[in-house]
Amino acid sequence: MATIAHRKKRRSLRRFVPLYLMLVPGLAYLVLNNYLPLFGLSIAFKNIDYSKGIWGSDWIGFDNFEYLFKTSDALLITRNTLLYNAVFIVLGLGLAIAVAILLNEIKNRFASRLYQSVIILPFLISIILVSYLVYAMLSTDTGFFNKTLLPALGIEPIAWYTEPKYWPYILTFVHLWKGVGYNCIVFLAAIIGIDGEYYEAARLDGASKWLQIRKITIPMITPVIIMLMLLAIGRIFYADFGLFYQVPLNSGALFETTNVIDTYVFRGLMQLGDIGMSSAAGFYQSVVGFVLVLISNSIVRKINKENALF
Amino acid sequence: MSKKNTAAASLLLATAVALSACGGNNDGNNAAPSGSSAASGNPAPSGSGSAAPSGKMEEITVTFPMISTVIPQMPAIEAAINKISQAKINTTVKLKAISSGEWVQQTNLMFTSNETMDLMYVSGGLYSSMVAKNQLVALDDLLGQYGDGIKSSVGDDYINVPKIKGAVYAVPSVRDLASSYGVIMRKDLVEKYNIDVNAIKTLDDFGAALKAVKAGEQGFAPLVPPGVNMSFLDGFMTYDNLGDSLGVLPNYDNGLKVVDLYETPEYKELVTKFRQWYQDGYILKDASTNKTSTFELLRSGKGFAYFAALKPGMAEQEGKAAGTEVVAKELTPVIARTGTVTGAMWGIPVNSKHRESAMKFLNLMYSDKDIVNLLDWGIEGEHYAKVDGKDGVIKYPDGVDAASTTYNMPLGWMFGNQFLSYTMEGGDADIWNKMDAFNKSAQHSKAMGFAFDATPVKTEFAAVSNVVTQYKLPLETGSVDPDKVLPEFIAKLKSAGIDKIVAEKQKQLDEWAKANPAP
Repeated sequence: MATIAHRKKRRSLRRFVPLYLMLVPGLAYLVLNNYLPLFGLSIAFKNIDYSKGIWGSDWIGFDNFEYLFKTSDALLITRNTLLYNAVFIVLGLGLAIAVAILLNEIKNRFASRLYQSVIILPFLISIILVSYLVYAMLSTDTGFFNKTLLPALGIEPIAWYTEPKYWPYILTFVHLWKGVGYNCIVFLAAIIGIDGEYYEAARLDGASKWLQIRKITIPMITPVIIMLMLLAIGRIFYADFGLFYQVPLNSGALFETTNVIDTYVFRGLMQLGDIGMSSAAGFYQSVVGFVLVLISNSIVRKINKENALF
Repeated sequence: MSKKNTAAASLLLATAVALSACGGNNDGNNAAPSGSSAASGNPAPSGSGSAAPSGKMEEITVTFPMISTVIPQMPAIEAAINKISQAKINTTVKLKAISSGEWVQQTNLMFTSNETMDLMYVSGGLYSSMVAKNQLVALDDLLGQYGDGIKSSVGDDYINVPKIKGAVYAVPSVRDLASSYGVIMRKDLVEKYNIDVNAIKTLDDFGAALKAVKAGEQGFAPLVPPGVNMSFLDGFMTYDNLGDSLGVLPNYDNGLKVVDLYETPEYKELVTKFRQWYQDGYILKDASTNKTSTFELLRSGKGFAYFAALKPGMAEQEGKAAGTEVVAKELTPVIARTGTVTGAMWGIPVNSKHRESAMKFLNLMYSDKDIVNLLDWGIEGEHYAKVDGKDGVIKYPDGVDAASTTYNMPLGWMFGNQFLSYTMEGGDADIWNKMDAFNKSAQHSKAMGFAFDATPVKTEFAAVSNVVTQYKLPLETGSVDPDKVLPEFIAKLKSAGIDKIVAEKQKQLDEWAKANPAP
């Protein structure tokens, strides 16, 4: 009995040899590009001295990490980064799913393609251009809001770039406007993959569109939703640098609501140019992201084992 | 879950992981610089490509920043330079331009991956940290052996300014080595409102001029920032900023006592004045977030004046850039401090294996007229032509002008000795004599020669830098009320650790003063 199973296993192994061979180039790339540089993480714990090289430089423990925690802004930037990203994940995914479902309901192929293209267009615009588009809207003297919209509504002009309280909304709006098209394509692909028979059966039983969405579409794409969410959580400590640096035009008055870890590190190290400290920031962000992914994945696994990533 | 869905999901996962990996590489604080990306920039120079004369010929790589790195004429210039350098010092050079926006990151990568660099541009802002990280070679012995041309052209006053802990790690280029601060105004408006430029001696005099223009002109604020992301005080300095403005020396002396600039009464007075101007409408409303260049504002009639660091020929230079004639007026005396001298320098990186040849070539950049002009203006007959009867004056060849020339390198201040550079016809042919006199006439800050190493307080430095970016522009453009915001700014600086930086700076300055007693 045992030998038969063993032989079977051997045979199937041999059957997979070509597949393993096909894996080699990708694996080699992964090792060279993603795993070898991991040794560079040691830079975060060193005081780099170029005459000694990376390996020869002195170890200094956690000194390079200090500036991330020992300042009055530490709490602020952590709060901003986490809250913005949490909002982006929830609203971003929700909106993308909604748009994907709506797009899927459009039966006219041409119209569907047109809407898709229009929705994804902002994703392709460089963040620098986006920042100028926003500026065209919000400029104090010449912006569309202050010049046209607010006077028409009888509201006094607002100095947008010195009022931090508006920026959580502005940044969230810009992020959603820019990112929704891309995420929605992922969901659309998943929705299209759902077997049409489910809907047919539901229709025969007299289920409404809303019911079909709730009982068929959403459950069928749940694995994709969870996967994208877990990936997003893994990057919850990384902020979109372009969005937070370029769009508010680096305006100091707005830091209370626009300073995040990435912009803080950038501004802090502009003059120092210390690669040890920038590595420390990157390392810290990755570790937190990794831990959060592990935690959220284990929560998902507790609830529904099949939906967990690993 | 159907099989199809699982497959789709895992495919998506794979793409998403790959995408996020790419994203990670782009966000600037990537943990590990991969050697391959740095090395792919330029193929390794092959040592003995050309016909070498007898003896051991060496090839050195010269690295410098440039706004546009694609210059088709570069190989031809390089060949012409090599002809001279081969004959004189048996060395050929390879010019390697790096986009100025990526300068810091690229050169850091080149250092970590041990790429060939023999001579490199060193900017003053990075100098002390480069020395602290041991990226540069001490030059004293090499200068003594091969650097006579450098020493004589830079002059005794300034050659030792970059000295750190008893050794010189870089030499300043010969250009304007001092500056006085003042204002630049549009000539048409100065004439229209009969402004007596010579009578402008203080900020209040200048304020009166702004008032006259504001009263007469509609639709724009007369005073604009000195540049994008710059405040008025970046163009009007009355103190030695000791490198970074975190801890300064008021009046360039103050008995060598370092103080926190933002707590001084002078600072308060200045920002209060700017606030008044802002409220009177003299200042561009969104000055603190302005992204339009000063020249663009002037050219389009949206501005009248700005603060600037001045030097001989400044009005001409700025007028050309702005496309409208301007006049300049100094408000402070001419002063040299570490920053004005070390602004642009050349050094030899530790990676270099040809240090002697590098120094010999650097010496040519300071003493050989032909090499300087090849770098500054290109090849004679092709990119410029000499004007008959006028020594050192050139013009564009027939059928070529400033817009259509194929070699445009506005970096004369960087390439060694600018005083050897030709001047363009129509400009001031005597400019380098004036500049030389300007440098020699300058008063020296009491701390000239002192360079601060921020490494011992880098945690505080990073935190304080953030606080300064937050408050500096709004305050120094008058956009916010200093009575309310300045105390907040000072308190935040304190909690971020400015006092520790000032104390460290004082300590280093005292040590420096002990080692370099005033003459």
